[in-house]
Order: sequence, then structure tokens, then C-alpha cells
Amino acid sequence: MTIIKADHLYKTFRIKEKEKGFKGSLKAIFKPKYKTIKAVNNISFEVEKGEIIAFIGPNGAGKSTTIKMLTGILYPSKGEVSVLDINPIKNRKKLAYQIGTVFGQKEQLWTHLTPYDNFKFFGAIYDINEKVVEKKINEFRELFELDEFINVPVRNLSLGQRIRCEIVASLIHNPKVLFLDEPTIGLDPVVKENIRTLIKRLNKEYKTTIFLTSHDVGDIEKLCKRVIIINSGKVVLDDTMENLKYHYLNKKIVEVKMKEMVNLDNEKGITILKDKGYNLKIEVDTKKRSVADAIKLLNPDNILDINISNTPLEEIISDIYKKEAKK
Amino acid sequence: MLMEVKNQIKISLLSIKYAIMREMLNKISFITNIVFMIINNSTFIIQWVVLFSIKNDIGGYSLNEVLLLWGLASSSFGVSRFFFKKAFDLSTTINNGKLDSYLVQPKNVLLSVITTDVEPSALGDMLYGYIVLLIYGITFKLFLLFTLFSICSGLIITAITIIFNSLSFWFGKSDLLAEKMDGFMTSFATYPGGIFKGVTKWILLTIIPVGIANYMPVDVMRNFNLSYLLIILGFTIFIVTTAFIVFYKGLKRYSSSNLMIAKI
Repeated sequence: MTIIKADHLYKTFRIKEKEKGFKGSLKAIFKPKYKTIKAVNNISFEVEKGEIIAFIGPNGAGKSTTIKMLTGILYPSKGEVSVLDINPIKNRKKLAYQIGTVFGQKEQLWTHLTPYDNFKFFGAIYDINEKVVEKKINEFRELFELDEFINVPVRNLSLGQRIRCEIVASLIHNPKVLFLDEPTIGLDPVVKENIRTLIKRLNKEYKTTIFLTSHDVGDIEKLCKRVIIINSGKVVLDDTMENLKYHYLNKKIVEVKMKEMVNLDNEKGITILKDKGYNLKIEVDTKKRSVADAIKLLNPDNILDINISNTPLEEIISDIYKKEAKK
Repeated sequence: MLMEVKNQIKISLLSIKYAIMREMLNKISFITNIVFMIINNSTFIIQWVVLFSIKNDIGGYSLNEVLLLWGLASSSFGVSRFFFKKAFDLSTTINNGKLDSYLVQPKNVLLSVITTDVEPSALGDMLYGYIVLLIYGITFKLFLLFTLFSICSGLIITAITIIFNSLSFWFGKSDLLAEKMDGFMTSFATYPGGIFKGVTKWILLTIIPVGIANYMPVDVMRNFNLSYLLIILGFTIFIVTTAFIVFYKGLKRYSSSNLMIAKI
């Protein structure tokens, strides 16, 4: 069942251009120049019920603009968009009852109120009966481990605690789709991991469809089964995480500790990443040479310790960004 | 529909309540703001006392009636600033892309935004209005009319500032224009309507509708006039509706932003 549908979506912004200096400022008053920026340039995709999808791209790629069009914040310049068969522009309020949003960079909570009072307020916003809100708070209290700080004003909470509360506030009305725009930004690794576990549980227990944007590869790798990469307002890749790894993981990283030094210069399919004499880090292009062949070159009897790993996903994504930028 | 309106009012009142709670965190500042505003307003009356010691009638108003005009101007100013403080800052809110969190909520965006903050000193303005009314000579009928007109006039001031601040959707920065308009509304509201003639009077009944927001209500309170009352009520509905229309038309042009923002 399709939950989110974007069909040939465009968003353009008209931006005033100004030449440098005071003269430029004067000129801009009498003869303003405008530039049209295509933030989103013909994007189409569909998201199925219960999916956790990563919507990623470099800064300025159009991720947030797309999310804002899906949630009814921005009007598309062209194209169609529907979430749960609701047009976000025509029926913004109707859609708002069905979706939850967390913007990692923007707070929705009242900072002088406690999380508990904030949740009650959000319950009222979604016209939920007070008893139901109370029940819901108790449910999330356990799931999100809020007991320690549920009665402490939000401004006194740590960033991790605040984000947890932001997520709970966005879930108080049982949304069918949750939009998370960089939910782990600025968090330490432990808190990040906690948030990821919670998102996973949410998807598993409540079947909530999750639409996630993040610059953190850990979020993407640990949460999402499908990834959409956008760059310069266009979709450059829409595939499963498995396929992404399969197609792009044709390089292996081999780290070895050796008894004797080996010279691998000019060997086909091998790139030396680090050479510290007896410690060597190489990249093997498996399309040109097998890993076994590379190990043979090193001589297995000469190896004291070995570690073979995949290219980090971060590098894969970064390569995709770079390739698209060159086009 | 009725349920939706009821829920919207509930949320707006809840929002105002939380905003008051935030201001009350600093007890001393909260109280002194109110008290000093009452004292500040009282000082303005002195100039009128001096003027009326020279002349008995200014623009058809006696000292007592100027007091009533001041009371209404102060009270309506208080209503607009206390309940809808954020309306006066709407241009900045629009330009900084701070509407996002309201747009994802199933409520009226404009009402949700303008009721998120209160101005404690405006409570002093409101109270001052009623103190003046006591001096003028309060009756039950006058109390009801004064309250009704304070609300209407407060809504007119708020609606005008919303209209001018909403121009930011088209022109980027319209806060200065909105401030100027607000300044005109406030300063003209404290002069007897009778001193203005010809084009100025026409301007004060149309472009800067102080005539409808302040002079006509004072006239009704002095000598009850049903047609004036209907004009005031009708104009309030018209200008408030216009404010909503302009804001929502502009909202289609909203461009958001990615600034790091906290709701404080």
C-alpha cells in the first residue's frame, strides 16, 4: 500500500541577487536582479506502508524542501504530492492529524514547561481526550525511559533528552507516518544509538512508516532498508540498502601486519592507502583482482595479522554525491 | 465546524495560559511591568489637565471624555499586545521561517502563532483603562460597552498589524511599515476625534481607522447610537476577515528556512 507519493515534484525559489559593495546595494534598490533556484527539480518516488526510508543528500540537495512539501509546510511549484491519499496543500489540517514531524534543528516544545505539560498541550492540539493522552504518556514513559526527567522543565534537559521528548510529542496522536529531519544531529554516539533503537521499535510495534533524512550514515545503515539519494534537486539513486551495498561494494579494505615488507606498487587493482613498513592498508578493486589474489601477493606465510572489511557506507555515499556533482 | 472552532479557542487560550506562566516565572519583573505601565499612562493625562485648564472644550470633548478616550485607547492597546503579542512580530516570524512547527499542527496557523506570547506590561494598559472608567463614572451598561469596544478596537489594531506584517510574504521585510501603521493607530487614538476635519478625518475613518476603533466607540458611550455600534461591529468583522485572507494568501508564498530555532 502506497503511503507517500511524489509525482514530478518541483520547487523553485526566486532569490534576489546583489552585486558587491555599497554600489551594488544601491543598484539592487533601483534595478533588482533575481535568480531562480530549482531546489527540487522533478522528483518522483513512492513509499510503502511500514517502510523506514532514508532520504539523503548533501547540503542544499533539496531534502528539507521535499519533506516540507510532503508535510504541507511548502507549496510545490509544480507536480503532485500525496501522503496517505491526502493532498498536504489542500488538506493540511486533515493530514496533520495523521502524521508526526521531528525537525532536529527546530524545537516544537515549550522550554519553560515540563515534558509532561508539553505532551498534554500536544494532546490538546490533536483534540485527544485527556484520559487517552494520560494513557499514551504512560505508555511512552516506559518505552522512551522518560521517568527521570518527565517533570523537569525542557530548558533544563540535555539535547538527547529533548530529542526524545520531541519524538514523544510528535507521537502523542498515533501518527501513521513519522517524518524525521536529522533527528540525531548534535547527539553523542550513545544517545544516537538509543534514538535509533527507539525508532526501530516504533516501526516494529506500531507499524509507523518512517521517512528519515540524516547526514549520519549510522542512522541510515542501522535503520533503513531503502535509500533515496538526491542531489541538486534530483533523485540520483532509489534502491534497497542491500542493492546499494552489493553494487557499490566492489572494493575491499585489507589491513595487514607482516613479518617482512612487500612492495605492491603498480599492482593492478590495488591502491595503497597507508604504508607504515610492516603495517599496510590497501584497497582491492574486486572487479580487477580478487581478494585471495591480493593476499597471495602479500604471501600468507608473511602475514601476522589480517583484517578485511567493506568500504564504509559513508565513502560509498560520498562517491555517489561526487559522481553526480561531476555530471 | 462548531467543534473545530471550540477546539481552536481552547488551544489559543491554553497557549496564552502557558505564555503567562512563562512570564510569571520572573515574579518581580511581571508585577513591576504592570504597575509601571499604569503609572506611565497616568502621566500622559497631566498634559490634558493643563490644556483643559485653559480651554473647556477641545474638539467637542470635555476632560472627562478625553479620559474615557484615553482609557479605551489604553485598554484596546492592552488587549492587542497582551493576547496577540506575536502579531506585532509576524514579519520576523515569516522571514525567519518560524512558521514550520505551526504548519504541521492541525490548527489555524495564524491564531496559533499570534497567541504564543504575552506582553505583561499590556496587562497594565488594560487595567489602566478600567481605572479611568471608574474615574469617569462607571455604570453596568458603560462597563459592558467599554469591554466590548476594548475587544473590538484591540482586534482592529491586531488585524491591521497582521495585514501589514503579512506583506512580508511578498516584499520580504514589512515590519517597519507595520510599525509605522501601528504607531499611527496608537497616537491618533488619544486625541479627540472632533479636532480632525476634512481629508484628515476621512483618512482616520478609512486608511488609519482610528475613527471606527476609538472615536465612534467613545461617541456611543457618551450617547448611545445603534448605527455607530453596528458600524463598529461590522468593521471589526470585516478587518479581521481581511487579515486572515491576506495572511493565508501570503502563506502560499512562504519559503521556510533551515535556521536553528528554539521555541522560547
